[in-house]
Amino acid sequence: MMTGQAGKRIKMTKSVTNGVFSPPAKGTATAAPERLKSNQHLRRNPPIAGEAEAIAAAQTGDAAAFERLYSLHKRRVYSLCLRMLGNVAEAEDLTQEAFLQLYRKIGTFRGDSAFSTWLHRLAVNVVLMHLRKKGLPQVSLEETLEPSQEDGPRKDIGARDLMLSGSIDRVTLERAVSDLPPGYRLVFVLHDVEGYEHNEIADMLECSIGNSKSQLHKARMKLRDLLRTGQTSARREALL
Amino acid sequence: MNAGSKNNEFMKTTGPSTTCAQFQDQLPELFESGADLKEQEHLKTCEQCSALVSDLEYIAQQAKLLLPIHDPSPAVWENIQTSLSSGKQDSGSRPVK
Repeated sequence: MMTGQAGKRIKMTKSVTNGVFSPPAKGTATAAPERLKSNQHLRRNPPIAGEAEAIAAAQTGDAAAFERLYSLHKRRVYSLCLRMLGNVAEAEDLTQEAFLQLYRKIGTFRGDSAFSTWLHRLAVNVVLMHLRKKGLPQVSLEETLEPSQEDGPRKDIGARDLMLSGSIDRVTLERAVSDLPPGYRLVFVLHDVEGYEHNEIADMLECSIGNSKSQLHKARMKLRDLLRTGQTSARREALL
Repeated sequence: MNAGSKNNEFMKTTGPSTTCAQFQDQLPELFESGADLKEQEHLKTCEQCSALVSDLEYIAQQAKLLLPIHDPSPAVWENIQTSLSSGKQDSGSRPVK
């Protein structure tokens, strides 16, 4: 069962483009601070031996090739679903749905983007559609990406305590991420965990690039709040 | 606009007189600009914002820890196979687990 913020209403709409900055050109990511960017090319689209052949074969209906694609990508698709839903049964159900959609649509893949990016976009849409069905459809994704005041991060003006550096382990961070509002969580996972660029995220979520950047920043700010105050919940044990 | 001129632009707008609120408003763009934040004038005199920047960079760095580590159960593929073999590929017709 969907709980808390994950049950908010979602409708995929294009956002108003305010304060949009040009997306970084392909191949220029190294100009950004290494601490933020150094892991991206290693994680998102690493060369996968035999993938291109499997795609071509699957497009002709080769069942073994489709199974190969499933084996190659099931973990990342499932992890995305699990992080967004916090529920193993639902995550597996949506993973199944994503790959069934892949089977139906793989003939339309033309290689304009990396296959993993294309598949991830498909999986994101499956997740968003599921969240929309679980909530009420009248509220836009834009609003989902913009949580209520109490859910959003605070500005850090005034005396605070020690910095986080060195204090976060994986379990703690996973719990904090699971407590983010769904819009923040999705952008954080896609950018900071999966390594997608803002222009790709904007394309997946049908929002503006500026909105993606803004939500990522707010997600990090909210995570900082959660981690510093120890307000993360113990839900989503399945993730840990 | 190239990265250098963008950096210069931000340098102009985050000088010593920049308030914490102004600086934090610009942080999303600063992070994405590729600018070396340690060179920001405001951070040279503001411990709070320096700590904030360090924390946000640390969080982004630690996100690497969250790489996918779980596989779906074998039942997922079994259900996919069942759906494909029966010709039922729509979401409403997949097997009930």
